[in-house]
Amino acid sequence: MVKPLKDSFIFDTSALVSLATIDLINNIVKLFNIITTKSVVEELEDFSKFDDVYGKISKKVLKYKNKFIIKSIKINKTLNFVEHTDNELFNLALKEKLILITDDIKFSYHASKYIGTYFSTFFIGLFISSKIISKEEAISKLDKLRDLRNWKNNIIYLTTKEELEKL
Amino acid sequence: MQTEQFNIRLPIGLLHDLDIVSKLLKVNKSEWVKLRLAENIMEEKNKLLMELGNLYINNLITREEIKKLLGEEISNRIEFIKNKSLNSIKRGFYYGKTIKR
Repeated sequence: MVKPLKDSFIFDTSALVSLATIDLINNIVKLFNIITTKSVVEELEDFSKFDDVYGKISKKVLKYKNKFIIKSIKINKTLNFVEHTDNELFNLALKEKLILITDDIKFSYHASKYIGTYFSTFFIGLFISSKIISKEEAISKLDKLRDLRNWKNNIIYLTTKEELEKL
Repeated sequence: MQTEQFNIRLPIGLLHDLDIVSKLLKVNKSEWVKLRLAENIMEEKNKLLMELGNLYINNLITREEIKKLLGEEISNRIEFIKNKSLNSIKRGFYYGKTIKR
């Protein structure tokens, strides 16, 4: 079965930042619709005012801003423990019946009870099997993701690396 | 923010040092200690949980042991991250096979 190009996914800020960090966002823009909200773009614009790592990556993401599909949504169902921006994305995913890509563990944990969610590493697997990147490139990209170090990213890194090495 | 009283006895010398720091920085002693303590606790927590993650992924500690040590919430969270990571890479790999370049 051949899937039509330009399938759509919903992205939050954390996923866009991760995918720009590992230089996959340009490929994603070409192959898929990046759907997000105005609040996500505003978050990135806020980050981009700083000259730190996140600021620089946010600027990189914002270069593709005009290719994003920005949607507004009324919040009908609220997840506790997550930000307003996350609840917008959650409702958008519910309404549009689309997969949400997020590297925000708390958001993913609560949202996964109602919608499909993947970490941004979904696209590492996707681009390996579609032969857009090699396994070696994938491992090197994963190493870059680990540089955004915290204990949760460490588990994503270790689990994904083990799986990649089996491919 | 919800708070709770936590009393500690400090050596006199350390309190004198704290006094000097607060005078030089022109900051409130309690606020300064709270801030530095929060930074240190966050850093240590992250470091220890990274180690715990390494042990778990390498099968050197079980989910049940983590549950006994730190409670159900953290053990569930660790298991969730592991499963979601596996699912993300596997589903992405499968999806990629259906793409026509």
